[in-house]
Amino acid sequence: MFRGDPLANPEPLIKRVYAYVAYRVGDGPDAEDITSETFERALRYKKSYDSRKGEPVAWLIGIARRCIEGRPATPELSSEHLEVSDHRDLEDDALRRISLSGAVGRLEERDRELIALRYGADLTARQIAEVQGARTNAIEVALHRALGRLRATLEGEDDSSTPVRKSQAGR
Amino acid sequence: MRSWRSKRESRGLEAELRANRPEPSSELVHRLEARVREDGRHSRAGSFRVAFAGALAAGVLTALASVGGLGYAATGAGQAVEKAKRVVHQHGVTTVHKSAARAQYGKPKAKKCPAGRKRVRGVCRKVKKAKGVNFRRPPFTG
Repeated sequence: MFRGDPLANPEPLIKRVYAYVAYRVGDGPDAEDITSETFERALRYKKSYDSRKGEPVAWLIGIARRCIEGRPATPELSSEHLEVSDHRDLEDDALRRISLSGAVGRLEERDRELIALRYGADLTARQIAEVQGARTNAIEVALHRALGRLRATLEGEDDSSTPVRKSQAGR
Repeated sequence: MRSWRSKRESRGLEAELRANRPEPSSELVHRLEARVREDGRHSRAGSFRVAFAGALAAGVLTALASVGGLGYAATGAGQAVEKAKRVVHQHGVTTVHKSAARAQYGKPKAKKCPAGRKRVRGVCRKVKKAKGVNFRRPPFTG
């Protein structure tokens, strides 16, 4: 069922798929590989895309999810290598990005998936519900809780990193 | 650090997640874009070829129809089909049943059997009368 080219404007789609994948598996070569694989599969099965079932980005995210699930299990994302104290020379923005991705990586799989879909792929709660086969209300509640847990993780991280900073400042 | 925290508080976590979403390298974006466009060109070229052939056929038909050549072409095609049929058709062996040669050299006719005999497998045999029930006329009852 081919109704319009779902990849007519690929650039924003590539960025959204990559952001989703990176929130799921971590920023880097793995995310790039999965994004490439997603687009290869999308090109192969382009004719199966049906615009009545959803937007191209939702279709691509579905493919990306299957690509991630099909890969061997990766060790839990950790931000050990993203210690704040190791990045004292970095700009604030980069620091913030690293801290955020680290905190997202420490979330549970379900929360990470929701955060990736909402803020990585930029899907609406309704679109997420369609992708996951759940109710929009349930997704909104789950997202709210996931954000709460992320906030708590970030605050915990801030508290733990502050003494390091203070000690560095004291030198 | 304090400025970062205050920024986070002001912009909100959601905005921060959106603003700091991981971005692909420009190399990856260019590579994938080129791959997608190349695939699109291939499929477009295929559909263009089909469309071109269709348009060409339609054009020829229109041109022929406008000068009455369509009927001429149809007749020609019909004739060609007939000719081809005639060439390709396989005829069976023609047998002449009545001819002087057949009368002289053909199979001799079997002789008629004498009365009371019938030909059974090329031999005249006596025909036995069937043993049936003798029919009697019902008695006259008045």
